[in-house]
Amino acid sequence: MEFSHEVKESYAEVKANGRLNMVSAPKLREFVTDVIAAGSNRIVVNLENTAFMDSSGLGALIGCLKAARQAGGDLRIAAVQPQVKMVLQLTSMDKVLTSYTSADEAFSND
Amino acid sequence: MVSPTESRRAVVIEDDPDIRGLLVRVLVKQGFDVTQAGAGLPGVEEVRRVKPDLVTLDLNLPDLDGLEVCKLLREFSDAFIVMLTARADELDKLTGLDNGADEYLSKPFSPRELQSRINALFRRRPSPAADSAARSDLERATEVQQSLLPQEDIQVQGYDVAGVFRPSRNVGGDFYDWYRTPEGLHLTFADAMGKGMGAALIAATVRAVMRSTGLRHDLDTAFASASKAIAEDLDSSNSFVTLFHARLDADSGTVAYVDAGHGLALHVQSTGTVHRLPSGGPPVGAWAGSEWPQSVMELAPGDSLVVVSDGVLDVFESVEDFTDAVLQAAHNQESAQSASTAILALAPAETAEDDVTVVVVRRLPQEVAA
Repeated sequence: MEFSHEVKESYAEVKANGRLNMVSAPKLREFVTDVIAAGSNRIVVNLENTAFMDSSGLGALIGCLKAARQAGGDLRIAAVQPQVKMVLQLTSMDKVLTSYTSADEAFSND
Repeated sequence: MVSPTESRRAVVIEDDPDIRGLLVRVLVKQGFDVTQAGAGLPGVEEVRRVKPDLVTLDLNLPDLDGLEVCKLLREFSDAFIVMLTARADELDKLTGLDNGADEYLSKPFSPRELQSRINALFRRRPSPAADSAARSDLERATEVQQSLLPQEDIQVQGYDVAGVFRPSRNVGGDFYDWYRTPEGLHLTFADAMGKGMGAALIAATVRAVMRSTGLRHDLDTAFASASKAIAEDLDSSNSFVTLFHARLDADSGTVAYVDAGHGLALHVQSTGTVHRLPSGGPPVGAWAGSEWPQSVMELAPGDSLVVVSDGVLDVFESVEDFTDAVLQAAHNQESAQSASTAILALAPAETAEDDVTVVVVRRLPQEVAA
């Protein structure tokens, strides 16, 4: 899995490309924590190129959300693909991890 | 020097049979147990199966690009990967990129050079002692997980109850538990996040806590206190557990249940329809302040309650495909055991990466029960 990030006007976009599983989950956590530590607390994780996520991946997203909230910000997800959406719905985590169709939209109303 | 007690495994992925044979010989001479594959995808499966310490990977394979194979391997394996290419001009380009490979060699290669490169790689590898400690950790985790499953069948008048469990190579955090109550039975089905000893230990805690709640008469109160205890335990480990807990009243067929983020319990009706019981809230330990309202379902004679782990779901494109397949597998089965086995078979053992667990509680048709 590959990560990249870009600091935009009102948020930082993190792109996670590949499978979000037990191997890559800790790396995502580390990557997002670094972005938060560098001063961005409004994070959008763009999941456009994440076709698969397991429970460890979900755990990493939850951990990142907690970290962003602790820093006084928020974390939102964008461009969620079918399998990831399914995991979020089954676990009822779609009510906690808010998803948006695109990264631009995620923080457009606040 | 390679000590004779040290058992290291290698997989050779190479389409040219002559070069493959040479590579195998060189590696065997270096003390490796070697298996081989002639193309990319079989190679990936072989690595998944064997869990080698070393992989040699040809860049030009008939089915997949070697770089693609390397990427796939890195999803689940931390073996050393030595990439071989026939084109010397590609070598500079390759080494400049972070492809996930540890070493590059151009063909034709000298066996001695290959040997010395491999030795250099393994000098960086943690000691064999650390390796065997990790292996026995996996064995211990397997033992913990096996010990969580019910050791005996359960007899409830008018019902047929069965469970099956198939562990993956990487021990996961699946378990199920059941026990008799004066009214019928209590069933717990859980999946702790992640794999290995950590997940198995969390599963053990969850089982113990859920057993202790059996004494409480009210399900809401019981689950609220249990989830609080579990969440406190999970807090430090950044983990969570999906949990389905049900209480059956045998006479009426009423099942009161709480679903915390599991979402894979199905009501399979004798009429040939299936209804998935949606989860009532997030997994336990995932999000502070969560609440899980109890729900109720009625098992009519001939109906089944089927609870499945996500290891089965992973095989299907959508939840709808999954529920349909479970219905097809479970419908018209003679017993809860045969239904469980049929559902288990939906996730072929060769490709399943996760544990697979199935529990079936079937209310016998009236003519059989009488």
